[in-house]
Amino acid sequence: MMIDSILKSVDVIPAFPATILKVAELLCDDDYAVADVVNVIKYDQAIAANILKISNSAYFNARQKIKTIHDAVVYLGQQQLIRAVQTAGISKIYKKGGKGYASQSKDFWEHAVTVALMSQILSRRIQAREDQILYTAALLHDVGKIIMGEYVHVMFEKIIYKVKFEKCSFLEAEEEVIGINHADLGGRIATHWNFPPEIRDAIAYHHRPDLLEERDKTNAWLVYLSDQACLMMGIDGGVDALAYSGLGEVMRYFNLKMVDLEKSFIVLWDELKKAKDLLHL
Amino acid sequence: MSELIVGISDLKVSNNPTDILITYALGSCIAVAVFDPKSRVGGLLHFMLPDSSLDINKARENPAMFADTGITLLFKSCYAIGAEKKRMIVKVAGGASILDDTNFFRIGQKNITAMRKIFWRNNVLIDGEDTGDNFNRTVRLDLSNGRCFLKSSNGTIKEL
Repeated sequence: MMIDSILKSVDVIPAFPATILKVAELLCDDDYAVADVVNVIKYDQAIAANILKISNSAYFNARQKIKTIHDAVVYLGQQQLIRAVQTAGISKIYKKGGKGYASQSKDFWEHAVTVALMSQILSRRIQAREDQILYTAALLHDVGKIIMGEYVHVMFEKIIYKVKFEKCSFLEAEEEVIGINHADLGGRIATHWNFPPEIRDAIAYHHRPDLLEERDKTNAWLVYLSDQACLMMGIDGGVDALAYSGLGEVMRYFNLKMVDLEKSFIVLWDELKKAKDLLHL
Repeated sequence: MSELIVGISDLKVSNNPTDILITYALGSCIAVAVFDPKSRVGGLLHFMLPDSSLDINKARENPAMFADTGITLLFKSCYAIGAEKKRMIVKVAGGASILDDTNFFRIGQKNITAMRKIFWRNNVLIDGEDTGDNFNRTVRLDLSNGRCFLKSSNGTIKEL
């Protein structure tokens, strides 16, 4: 059965990048030593190179050229550094997979980053703050597609047929043809990585936050809304495009008006220009 | 031959018959492709939102973001390099929505309505249209002959 081999591949998926975990752990302590953080980052060449690239991007408002990891750690500070390290490291995960979904892994990554940016724009509008856990969940929301992509191309015709002629949503088509959808699979990967339940649930329910049985569903709904907004904007990174069912209750959940979303589109467009270096890791 | 890529909230015009104007991945955004067969002037707009009243400063900085300011700028930019309104052929694509999108996230429908109103008010007929539905589209305007092709994320390719 295809579903069995898919679930088996979750168990053998490479560990979540140790560099990100170590940096996150060090930064938990407000008194972290810059030298300790630099030491962790500098031994991971790929992440170190990406950190330098993105800490110089307009998104992080660098006023002078950041040339060393030490400068980046000092300049970015606790909150932005953890975000930069995650962005730098998670891009490696996305670059490896998603074949069956995206025409290029670059599109796949671009979608992930754009949803992460939008999650913070909406969080600022709705909760008046940014949220690191939300950022991580948004960046990883489609991680299930990395494994799914290996199988989807075999079943692609069937899935597309269902979406096109049976008016199925992409999620339903995945479930019917493969036996599991990419959101569920992403939740299982998050479990395999020992992520906290909040992140796991936001990934697993990013198309159906209405089904989540938790008291606080804010992050799941925010990832959902950010994802849908990016799909509307055409930054979809996949063959699934807009083939998802809309959940109108999201607007009531956050007490949002259409015009709030339209304004968020404008902010996203501005931030995307500044975040070019994040998109091209 | 050069391919000029039109981004989101962007427009390009040209009177070079070897140019091809392309815009990728239209979701709820709309592409307006115009061509004057006599002067061989063509233009392509990819607007994102229906109305510039949402953010007037933004509209000043980047008119191509909105239907009203974008379509006006598209036509004016074409006139500036030799096009004439009465000869212009107009084709539009995009404005897609999420499935079962009844009363939430109606940016696609709002964009379609806003665009039609503008053309109606200005006595411009739409010569080819593929809007709505729930797939993404890529639009390609070939300035050697004015032909406009549409590729959908569900796999179909057709001429508008």
